Amino acid sequence: MAGLAVAFVQPSHGAPVDRSEAFRFLQQATFGPTKMDIDGLVALGDSSLAYRRWINEQIAIPPSLLLPVIQAKWSSGLRGPELNKARQDAWFRITVLERDQLRQRVAFALSEIMVVSERGALTERQFALADYHDVLVRNAFGDFRQLIEQVTLHPAMGVYLSMLGNRKPDLALNIRPDENYARELLQLFTIGLVQLNPDGTIRTNQIGAPIPTYDQSVIEGFANVFTGWNYSGATSFSTAIVNRITQARPMQAYPEEHSPVAKRLLDYSGALTSELPPDQTPAKDLSAALDNVFNHPNVAPFIARRLIQRLVASNPSSEYVARVAAVFADDGSGRRGQLGAVVRAILLDPEARPNLDTASDATGKLKEPLLRLIQLWRAYKASSKNGVYRLLNADYIFGQGHLLSPSVFNFFTPDYAPQGEIAERALVAPELQIATEYLNTVITNYLYAQVFARNSTKMNLAADAIVINLSEEVALASNPDAIVMSLSTKLLGGRISPALAAEARAGVLRWPVTSRGNRVAEAMFLIVSSPEYAVQR
Amino acid sequence: MDRLSRRQFLRALSTGGALYAFGRTPGTVMAQTAAVDAFSDYKSLVCVFLLGGNDSWSVVVPRSDAEYAAYAASRQNLAIAQDVLLPIGPLEPDGAEYGVHPSMADVQSLFEMGRCAVIANVGPLIEPVTLEMYQQGTVSLPPQLFSHNDQQDQWHSLRGHRTLRSGWAGRIADVLAEQTTSQRLALNISLSGTTLFQAGEIAAPYVMGPTGTIFTAVGDRRAAFERIVYASQTNVYGRAFADVQDRALRYTTLVNGALTAAPVLTTTFPASALATQLKTVARMIAVRDQLGMSRQIFYVAVGGFDTHDSQLVNQPKLLGDVSASLAAFYNATVELGVSASVTTFTQSDFSRTLTSNGDGSDHAWGGIQFVIGDAVKGRNIYGRYPVLEIGGPVDVGGGRLIPSISTDQYAATLTRWFGVDPAHQTLITPNIGNFAQQDLAFML
Repeated sequence: MAGLAVAFVQPSHGAPVDRSEAFRFLQQATFGPTKMDIDGLVALGDSSLAYRRWINEQIAIPPSLLLPVIQAKWSSGLRGPELNKARQDAWFRITVLERDQLRQRVAFALSEIMVVSERGALTERQFALADYHDVLVRNAFGDFRQLIEQVTLHPAMGVYLSMLGNRKPDLALNIRPDENYARELLQLFTIGLVQLNPDGTIRTNQIGAPIPTYDQSVIEGFANVFTGWNYSGATSFSTAIVNRITQARPMQAYPEEHSPVAKRLLDYSGALTSELPPDQTPAKDLSAALDNVFNHPNVAPFIARRLIQRLVASNPSSEYVARVAAVFADDGSGRRGQLGAVVRAILLDPEARPNLDTASDATGKLKEPLLRLIQLWRAYKASSKNGVYRLLNADYIFGQGHLLSPSVFNFFTPDYAPQGEIAERALVAPELQIATEYLNTVITNYLYAQVFARNSTKMNLAADAIVINLSEEVALASNPDAIVMSLSTKLLGGRISPALAAEARAGVLRWPVTSRGNRVAEAMFLIVSSPEYAVQR
Repeated sequence: MDRLSRRQFLRALSTGGALYAFGRTPGTVMAQTAAVDAFSDYKSLVCVFLLGGNDSWSVVVPRSDAEYAAYAASRQNLAIAQDVLLPIGPLEPDGAEYGVHPSMADVQSLFEMGRCAVIANVGPLIEPVTLEMYQQGTVSLPPQLFSHNDQQDQWHSLRGHRTLRSGWAGRIADVLAEQTTSQRLALNISLSGTTLFQAGEIAAPYVMGPTGTIFTAVGDRRAAFERIVYASQTNVYGRAFADVQDRALRYTTLVNGALTAAPVLTTTFPASALATQLKTVARMIAVRDQLGMSRQIFYVAVGGFDTHDSQLVNQPKLLGDVSASLAAFYNATVELGVSASVTTFTQSDFSRTLTSNGDGSDHAWGGIQFVIGDAVKGRNIYGRYPVLEIGGPVDVGGGRLIPSISTDQYAATLTRWFGVDPAHQTLITPNIGNFAQQDLAFML
């Protein structure tokens, strides 16, 4: 690239982090780079150390939680749908303002793997949803075995995938355990349908066919494991009740509804056991079954690839997946499933930090649509007069929102490949599944309204309008090149194509010099609605 | 299709499946396509996808005493009461009597009027399956039975074990490309997001959303936006994104212009998400001539059918919505004078287990679907309504029933009505050659 692009300098010992490269890193690790974040990263010194130091700092920041917010709102009298709105508001506020960006970004990624959603049976379970978010946030750099246990026992997941209230079989009445959670835990949260090599490629049998990871008997085994659990604090399974306290506490086992049968588990090389004996306690069955899942060789490449896809790249090389999976398998101190080490490995991998001038044209990914917006908000210090970040029903506009997936299969699937160049080159582009003609138009229109109508040059905006601050560019309004340079620096890390820069400049000049706000907004709209801005490289 | 596209299409299909059996050499097939004239009539298919796996055994239920007794014994606390079922009277009865769910009075009425056919026990199959073959492992089965996304993909793509990345509606758009060159819009239109069903090997669908939309930007601003979309992109994701923006720009303006001039429908629709989509479909059909459309396939979808929990509370509401929405849409096609040109059909991931998990059911296999329109030979049940017996002749375990009709047969029957040259049947429905009956004869 030429024009206004800032040449990328390969990190070398002794040199501070290049600002454009810092921008790129922060796109992967936060909800959007800000000038302050870039300054902070550059100040961490030598580029061979700065990223690692930054990650360590982030890991040390205490998590921003949602449950305390919901509890406070409840205490102040909010009920029903108002609590739903408060949860969404609080999450947007965290993504825009709070410092624990990496933790929140990883938690958001986890929320797209271990999906629960307000759309469905959890509509009126705001305490459960808020606390589920908090579980993901607390465990974002933690132990994956602990994460899947807390996810499994969370009432939000219990309701969403109907493990909560799952009873032991009653063959006389043709009742057998619910298979919902068993199936999705294995298929979507941990190992997937087919056996993987340590580098994430699919293992095949002698005729070249993928080898399934389990069959129906294993699903039934796990379904029997996940019986007997209900809301906590009751004296019996049938008297367990939902309230704002039990929504946010792990489910409790009630032995009278736990299946006593022997239970098939996953069978793989190195498995401690592939069958649980009959008549164990619910807790013992659960613990052994989750150990059986956690130690399956698929988990490392399965989770590695998904997290890489959420943070860095749609099409990581098998070597990249293998390097990250190896860290999942052993963090260097013999411990498996340490997510902090995994995240560090993902972001510090050479493939995450290539020289963009020579990198493949398949480097990076399409941004998640909501990140296009939040990145703009962060870069332009978005705020509202009443201090609330209210964007209701984000999924109707952006095709996604926090804990708003249409199903357990998330907003998009990891292997989506639209016809055309992506499919022909055997690539995938998950986010393109929701980049439909319809949603792209709706998003473009939303960005249009944000940029032209809700910016700091407009008077008399509503108290809840989220307003972007254009003051720095407005001060440059007589200088079109300076406006474009500033927008490019804040929104594209300085890497703007000559064609887009020229259009943005021409946009500025369609307004007289006295229309300072419109000069800036015109150029900004063309940039944030462009294909370049939609991509994270 | 130009020559390059044709080659791409054939390459994609042939590499997609080593099992692919062309009726004749590929070159002949395509040469013949090129000679076919444009359509002189109008037809559209409307796919209503019930996401999550609709429990068919609450939808059409045996009413006669012996069959009901077997049903009730299997379903226990999930059974629908015998005396509330709404009777239907097939013209060619199979010896048992049937009724539809009490919330589906509109569908009952369409069936009795001869406008609706029931397809009994249809689901993904690669070849015919018997219980014995299933148990002995001597038959090729669709991969990942009982998994939502895999089975949705099977319904959409009919791919079996192939790596096909296209859907059968998408492939119809591919093979009809030269007969539909005057169409100003994509043949495939989705009201409910991206779907594999409509992805062609070449042809791209248009995702218009539940009601359509317009671009806010106009004038110089829109012109600049367009130039940026059409500028070359250095990154593959940027190029793919720009492709979508390109279609959005072209189609959104076109559709919005046509719909603005559309006549107002007098048919009333329910206020549901499904009915909203179907109403938009009706409006799109109303402006078919302005858009130059002779063949269209619409995709609408509604979720909530994964009734692991509270099935007896939730499913009746869903079925009531489906019934009322389908009837309103049928009435709209009558109002528009196209009820013989528009065929609506349902699909769903799978049906559900006969056994209960307490207050819901789990993922199974074959189930019931509806086909509606005046081109349908209605008031009949096509295929064999299964014996609803746990451990019965078609139960592979837990009350998961083997389909008697394959999705390929279902799709092939609709494809032929739609006017696709039978020479292309294997391209559209790749497993159809494994089934003796390639047309189920539920279409006129």
